[in-house]
Amino acid sequence: MNEQAELAVVGAGPAGIAAALAAAEAGVATVLLDAQGRPGGQYGRASAAADENVAQDGILRQLADSPVQVMTDTVVWGAFPTEDGAAWELALYGPRAPARLTARTLILATGAYDRPIAFPGWTLPGVMTAGGVQAFLKSQKIAPGRRFLLSGTGPLQVAVAARLVEAGAEVVAILEATRPGLRDVRRLLVLWGQWSRLAEGLDYWRALRAARVPFRLGWAVTEAHGAGAVEEAVICRLDGAGRPIAGSARTVAADTVAIGYGLLPSTELTRLLGCAHDFRPELGGYVPRRDAEMRTSRPGVFAVGDGAGIGGAELALIEGRIAGLAAARDLGRLSEAAAETAIKREQPGLARQRRFAALLSALFAPAAGLYALAHDDTVICRCEEVTLGIIRRAVADGAADVNEVKGLTRAGMGNCQGRVCGELIARIIAAETGRAGDPAAIQSAGCFTARPPIHPLPLETIARGASRQVGK
Amino acid sequence: MRTQMQTTFVVHVNGRPVITHAGETVAAVLLAEGIRAFRRTAHRGEPRGVFCGIGICYECLVTVNGVANTRACVTTVAPGMIIETGGRP
Repeated sequence: MNEQAELAVVGAGPAGIAAALAAAEAGVATVLLDAQGRPGGQYGRASAAADENVAQDGILRQLADSPVQVMTDTVVWGAFPTEDGAAWELALYGPRAPARLTARTLILATGAYDRPIAFPGWTLPGVMTAGGVQAFLKSQKIAPGRRFLLSGTGPLQVAVAARLVEAGAEVVAILEATRPGLRDVRRLLVLWGQWSRLAEGLDYWRALRAARVPFRLGWAVTEAHGAGAVEEAVICRLDGAGRPIAGSARTVAADTVAIGYGLLPSTELTRLLGCAHDFRPELGGYVPRRDAEMRTSRPGVFAVGDGAGIGGAELALIEGRIAGLAAARDLGRLSEAAAETAIKREQPGLARQRRFAALLSALFAPAAGLYALAHDDTVICRCEEVTLGIIRRAVADGAADVNEVKGLTRAGMGNCQGRVCGELIARIIAAETGRAGDPAAIQSAGCFTARPPIHPLPLETIARGASRQVGK
Repeated sequence: MRTQMQTTFVVHVNGRPVITHAGETVAAVLLAEGIRAFRRTAHRGEPRGVFCGIGICYECLVTVNGVANTRACVTTVAPGMIIETGGRP
């Protein structure tokens, strides 16, 4: 079972949809794949109970009206060059998916997930990511708890808190771990022109003020406790390096702790394909190297959106469009001149959104101390239950990068394939070698080698799709 | 085209019938039923529930229609679905 397409776009969030629409508009036969049941990604999550024929907003409406073939509930678990090297083969898994899809060109728009931060008790039921809380609110229209304590950095928490209040949940406090100083005021000039974002922020702010939700700068959750699930959390004031200040600890009753410390890009497919990656902490870590048209180092493979570097939905739309246009030109559906003109039109917006993303990243990067809250008996690799103490011993025994730690401890070998513990372990290695928070040390600790399948699968799926031996 | 009514149907949670709505995830149903610990870990037997909420962390694993290790947060309910929590590999 092998389907063919000119262009396969992986991920139907803002970036993927924009790419698919731009390419399809030029006449490219485009398939858009997503693991979820409907397009939209995390940003565009609609209520699961929405009426079928309710007019959808913007790009979702355009997608529904376009010739793009949308394949939902489809996991892309591998990506390989075809035997003749002229195209790409995607390995698929899903109730309606063929085993394989071959495409001449790939646009990867795989999105991002919340950055995990470890602390004693973080594995208790009731500790969730802010993005996860948001997913429940947007799709399921329920608050996944009753009494929420939010701890993290950046504006997402404020948005989540406002939605929680709207949903009737109690928000005990919003703890912002950073404490922007006066030098950051100059940076805020980047906000000039971002009127809709500022307006949105103001709306959230007003809602939270009306609900009297406490907002604290320079505080964070440092522990969670409870019998079987979260019942209370310890919060501390932080110093300039993100470390808890002795004596400042207070205990707060809560049944849900939502941690929101930024996002990490999902780069499993770009790494699996052997694209060159650079370590860019401001973009979330290792990200694929790209040119001005969003091409990776592998011919015919583009990468866009948060999956290629954290930058937000507006930037994702623009990057997606640029890649879609470039792909259309590559496939002979757009003239050089038409593509160049269209791509040039996107440049001012691209620059503006990148500046905004850089601002957020600079203001809200979690300080090094937030990566050092765990105790020796705190589980770091949640899947394999590997504690900080075991990882420390592995580093002391000579493990110099995350793959060596994995080999010695099993950390990273579980179901999530190291998505949750990868960055944490890289930072532990840096800290244990006396270079806590040093980007060069974190970079050299590397990331887990990406191997197919990039999601756990039933064995029969792999067996069913195997039609030939993939040679060296 | 007629507007789709919000369909309700019955699923079974640990042997008990529960009324759910079309489009709900197993995780949402379990949380609404007051179940926060979905499983226990293999080595230490520790309770785990929803963490990432978007299907990447594989913490929210429950057994659905006899299939173990199913992510509750990305699985949508269907009529007659049999959901079992508390598993430990």
